[in-house]
Amino acid sequence: MSPRRTLCLLVVLAVSAPPARAQQRDSIEALKHLTLDQLMNIDVMSVSLRPQRLFETPSAIQVITQDDIRASGATSLPEALRLASNLQVAQVDARQWAISARGFNGTTANKLLVLIDGRTVYTPLFSGVFWDVQDVLLSDVDRIEVISGPGATLWGANAVNGVINVITKDAKGTGGLLVTGGGGTELRGLGSARYGGGLGGHGNYRIYGKAFSRDPTLLSNGQAARDGWHMGQGGFRLDWEAPDSNRLSLHGDWYDGRIAQASPGHIAVSGGNVMAKWAHPFSARSDLTAQAYYDGTHRDIPGTFGEDLDIYDIDLQHRTAVGTRHDVVWGVGYRLINDRVVNTAALAFLPAHVARQWFTAFAQDEIALASDRLHVTLGTKIEHNDYTGFEIQPSGRVNWTFSPSRTLWAGISRAVRTPSRIDRELYAPGQPPYFLAGGPGFRSETELAYELGYRHQQGALVLAFASFYSRYHGLRSLEQVNPPNPTPIVIANGQDGESYGGEATASYHITDDWQVHAGYTELRVHIWPNPGSTDTSRGTAESHTPNRQLSLRSSLRLGAQWIVDGGFRYLAEIANQQLPAYAELDARLSWRPVAALELSVAGRNLLHEHHAEFGTPAARRDIERGVYGMAQWHY
Amino acid sequence: MALLKAAFTVLTSALLLVQSPRASEYQVKAVFLFNFAQFVEWPAVATPDSQLPVIIGILGEDPLGTFLDETVRGERLGLRPFEIRRYRALTDITACNILFISRSESERVGEILAALGKRPILTVSDGDDFAKRGGMIQFVNDKNRIRLRINLEAAQAANVTISSKLLRVAEIVRTPRP
Repeated sequence: MSPRRTLCLLVVLAVSAPPARAQQRDSIEALKHLTLDQLMNIDVMSVSLRPQRLFETPSAIQVITQDDIRASGATSLPEALRLASNLQVAQVDARQWAISARGFNGTTANKLLVLIDGRTVYTPLFSGVFWDVQDVLLSDVDRIEVISGPGATLWGANAVNGVINVITKDAKGTGGLLVTGGGGTELRGLGSARYGGGLGGHGNYRIYGKAFSRDPTLLSNGQAARDGWHMGQGGFRLDWEAPDSNRLSLHGDWYDGRIAQASPGHIAVSGGNVMAKWAHPFSARSDLTAQAYYDGTHRDIPGTFGEDLDIYDIDLQHRTAVGTRHDVVWGVGYRLINDRVVNTAALAFLPAHVARQWFTAFAQDEIALASDRLHVTLGTKIEHNDYTGFEIQPSGRVNWTFSPSRTLWAGISRAVRTPSRIDRELYAPGQPPYFLAGGPGFRSETELAYELGYRHQQGALVLAFASFYSRYHGLRSLEQVNPPNPTPIVIANGQDGESYGGEATASYHITDDWQVHAGYTELRVHIWPNPGSTDTSRGTAESHTPNRQLSLRSSLRLGAQWIVDGGFRYLAEIANQQLPAYAELDARLSWRPVAALELSVAGRNLLHEHHAEFGTPAARRDIERGVYGMAQWHY
Repeated sequence: MALLKAAFTVLTSALLLVQSPRASEYQVKAVFLFNFAQFVEWPAVATPDSQLPVIIGILGEDPLGTFLDETVRGERLGLRPFEIRRYRALTDITACNILFISRSESERVGEILAALGKRPILTVSDGDDFAKRGGMIQFVNDKNRIRLRINLEAAQAANVTISSKLLRVAEIVRTPRP
């Protein structure tokens, strides 16, 4: 305990590294404060420090912009995530979503790191995300960065197959009063208000509140399921920018919701978080960022389980240029969770109450090898967790920008998914004799990923292609304790697997007012039992993923007042759920009679009266066509 | 834990390195483009509505990447927000206040400037001899520093007024007369 404590005292520590582009923003902010004279005296590197241009990033990144979100008519974060074609997104029922990258999808998909303004939102309960409580005011979102493939070295734990990074606007960019209200079918009602303003010369703030109510989905017999729900959320953000370029940010959110369920009672969810961030630029070549947050969540599912979870997380990251060729980023982090589960007759987490901590350190060096054309990035993350001790996640990447409009990149990464509570501590039923008796020997799942990508920009046309092959060891399996007796079973690492495929996107500005986007992903996941394993599922519990998906979007501005947007998607069948392939269309018409007012009508899932996106035939819910109208007033 | 501590110690030393202020070339150029909006006045006809965005366009292969988008994010000129547009062809340039012409278009700069004529658009480029060829502001790289070269006559001809604050730090050039 003592060295750990020493480390804690020494620094403010980190689990998840803030995104690299935050640093770019910091240095730009510093430059913007210079006078013309000062700007002309800035020493310009002939070698660009890091591949800050998205175009040159050596990984499969897609960015969802505020304009994309607005055009899509999305009213929730998962709906907005459909815009990234390198994600597999399926709506399970009215509130649950299965979201993953590069396969391994499920309602408890566990290989994705999801961050909202630097706050990790996957739960240590099962390493997945409760999407029903991850909400933001979508009009305050600046962008969502979606990286498919391992991002563990720089981004943090759990980034085995991808990272979703939701970034909201600085309070400086959200001044004035913004009121939104509307409703229709499926989205029965949605209302929000946000107000922002200045605080003295250097600070800005905003506060917001929102609430929505959503209709239930359909059971296979055509009757309404009991899964309708409503939720309210509010929050604030303060940003200060001192004259010396120090930047301080404080934000928080609170929410409370009720969700109907088939069994008696209502699911109750509530929670809140508060985060402080500090950025200190030493120079355009070096900066320090620190952040600390608290995140508390409460979930009560009557008859199944209840949970109170407190997370304390603290991060420090420093970036500095060393010489003319090296750009070094390193950081440390500490994370403490306090998880109290209320067990039921159906299942139990044992022990019910745990406190766990994580220590992380990472370092990455981006080396400019040949002018600003060729960069090699080497880095590793070292993590210590209470389940498996030390884990090392190194990666090596190279990007070669052989012309301003063409970039080739490649990467090899090792990533691990460390155990979560569900892997080690889940028992069923809630009392002995157990047919599922935890996973006392469960270790980390490991991945070795090879990636190759290419980006090409030709005027208004931007093309990106990424391909990958990943090999997994020790994937989760269910093993008979006394074969051939079918029970009891325990959770173990009895399966291996591989995945491979490609992700392609194309964006084209046909004119200034008309842009189109296409995304296509081809994907295969194979999982098999290792010698000695009694798990013959071949991964049907671990990955529910279509082999291919296609999305097409168009956004057309007609004059100064009208915008017509459309989004088509096709997803192949999910074979191991006998879920048929489906195609759907979303559309939106927006009218802005005056600058301050926007009226819109949006249709979602227009092609069919109802369709299913996920689940075995018995458990499946059908998602209905929805139409809603919305008015937004910005004063 | 010893490993963590060792890594920490080694990396802390990076903090102590002496740092000189440096930035990437196009980061600085992006900030210049943003600043120009504050030192230039367009004729009233070019901006009929004070709420309309200040449009910075990029013609040709875009070397600025996300730098320019990052620079103008959340910024306003009075009430006017900034908007970045990337043009594929000359004919795409409709409403535009500041036009950055990429080096990729160097060979046809004459043709581009002729096509823009007297439209009140501040033309900027880092292509060779841009200002002498009739462009308004040229970025010149001078020993790792960025200098400005301004063709005042070209700006005046298009009714674009450049503030004396900007002129003061720039080298003024003329289009050579044949």
